[in-house]
Amino acid sequence: MSARAIWKGALVLGQHQVPVKLYSAVQDQVVHFHLLHDKDLTPVEQRIVRKDNGREVPKEAQRKAFPLDAERAVILEPDELDKLEPAADRTIELLRFVPRGALGDQWFDRPYVLGPDDDDGAYFALAQAVDAKDRIGIARWVMRDKRYLGALSVADGYLRMTTLRRAEQVLDLPAIRPDKARTPSDAEVKLAEQLIDSITGAFEPEQWQNEHRERLAKLIDAKAKGSKLRLVKPERKEPTGDLAESLRASLAASKGKKVA
Amino acid sequence: MPDDKAPSAPVRSFWSGTITFGLVSIPVDLLAAARARQKSMKLVDDEGHALGRRYYCPKDDKVLDNDDLVRGYETESGKMVVITDEEFESVAPEKSRDIDLKSFVPVAAIPPSFYERPYFLAPDERAGKAYTLLAQTMAKSGKAGIGSFVMRDHEYLVAILSENGMLRAEVLRYANELRTPETIGLPRPGKADAGQVRALGKAIDALSEDDLDMAEMEDIEAQALREFAQRKAKSGKGVIAMETLEDVDDDSAGGAEVIDLMQVLRKSLGARTEPAEAKEAARAHAAKKATPVRNANAAKTAAAKPSAQRSAPNRAPKKDAAARKGPATAKPAARRSASTSTPTKGTASKKTARKAA
Repeated sequence: MSARAIWKGALVLGQHQVPVKLYSAVQDQVVHFHLLHDKDLTPVEQRIVRKDNGREVPKEAQRKAFPLDAERAVILEPDELDKLEPAADRTIELLRFVPRGALGDQWFDRPYVLGPDDDDGAYFALAQAVDAKDRIGIARWVMRDKRYLGALSVADGYLRMTTLRRAEQVLDLPAIRPDKARTPSDAEVKLAEQLIDSITGAFEPEQWQNEHRERLAKLIDAKAKGSKLRLVKPERKEPTGDLAESLRASLAASKGKKVA
Repeated sequence: MPDDKAPSAPVRSFWSGTITFGLVSIPVDLLAAARARQKSMKLVDDEGHALGRRYYCPKDDKVLDNDDLVRGYETESGKMVVITDEEFESVAPEKSRDIDLKSFVPVAAIPPSFYERPYFLAPDERAGKAYTLLAQTMAKSGKAGIGSFVMRDHEYLVAILSENGMLRAEVLRYANELRTPETIGLPRPGKADAGQVRALGKAIDALSEDDLDMAEMEDIEAQALREFAQRKAKSGKGVIAMETLEDVDDDSAGGAEVIDLMQVLRKSLGARTEPAEAKEAARAHAAKKATPVRNANAAKTAAAKPSAQRSAPNRAPKKDAAARKGPATAKPAARRSASTSTPTKGTASKKTARKAA
């Protein structure tokens, strides 16, 4: 089943332009429910009301207010907000190409697949060029009145664009150096390394299923005909006592069987 | 070490549980490592009165309480199947509060498209040196642990990463949540013209830099919005009191307790922050730009976060979150649509969620 492009634009690198189509790489697998009124099973409506008197407020009278600080906000009129929208444009500007390691996982937000738009030659030439350089392009574009920041990369011979969080969104932390009592010994590090090695494999995401979603789907299926299930309480494990002992035991256990 | 001067992000603990690998268990707290964009607005009427959302039954035109709501699933044939709270809970994830690391993979083997939402994993006071051990070993081997865990009735696939002595978690998308060029129906990669590849390669070279430029990564829209709002406020027009205002996108800052992460780290690890010079450099940088430093190399340090930000930290980037997972398994009353229309695929309202829970 093929998917529809959600947007068309052109990647711009200096003098070069490569026309592309943008496809969402995410497909929703979420089980969506309606909210119903329990008495008559009518789907409920949500209405916007004044908090002080509960009176409904029509769309035309609704406004957005931007918080200035903890005490004050300022009302922004629709025309003022319109003026703040970026101008429509069809270009995806490549700002720079950086080594892969320059972007940590915290930046990555939402993935898209880029496809060729008529000019297959230019598209696959760029895919090859980006792949050969082994770099990530930082890109900016305006799509449907919104500005986006993204990372251009290549996987399996195709161009990918992953939107990035903004600098203000990515939280940083100081590096930590634990005190002596919490520093593991060389022997413990060695054991841990062996243990990790013993269960290291390829990244095989297909092996992981969201069992909860599957059970939910089954429940709905069953309910459409008629039946039930039951519930279990989670418990929290006690922290490890003797670390080296646990490591050795784990290692022995993992040697006994093949780990996926 | 003048730890007490270390700037730290005010963060919310979402979840407490235990990382296990082999027979080793490490109690940890989960804290958000990304926050919403700083452009969330409040819902008011044209005179500045605070607005809120209410559920109505269109049939009898009455306001509904959470207790009056049930969850309905519309089948393909258009039949509405009611799922009660009891039934819903009966299929809730049965797993314990463990992140069981079943396997390890090279970090580079995880395609970025799988990364959905980043968290910090702070060691519980009882974590002891097992936490440090795992962080050190993973950093040394360049590996990530893969496992799944349950948080607030949702099941998540997760990669545990190590950075700067700290463990982090990235919630991953499931494989069936991602499209591939094949499923999209893109043409097979063809032969590219060598001259064109070379020319494009040169264009890439011309744009190549060793590192990011933080100025390019800033939120231009949010800044423009803030500046405009501040200018308008100076004129005195449209200024109102914040008090009871509700977020436009109903993205109020969850119910989790705000904690000082540095405090936690110090307690549980006797942790010290990086050498002073690095911190100074980061602070100077941060001061200059007035935005958090996020530089993959040098400035991995303390990065002063605007800790005064009121409610912002650690909300999940909202719109996407709602579209992607909010509705999945939310409690019946925990759902709300962003508009006044019938809330079919609505977003989860944390307020009602708490009440219903």
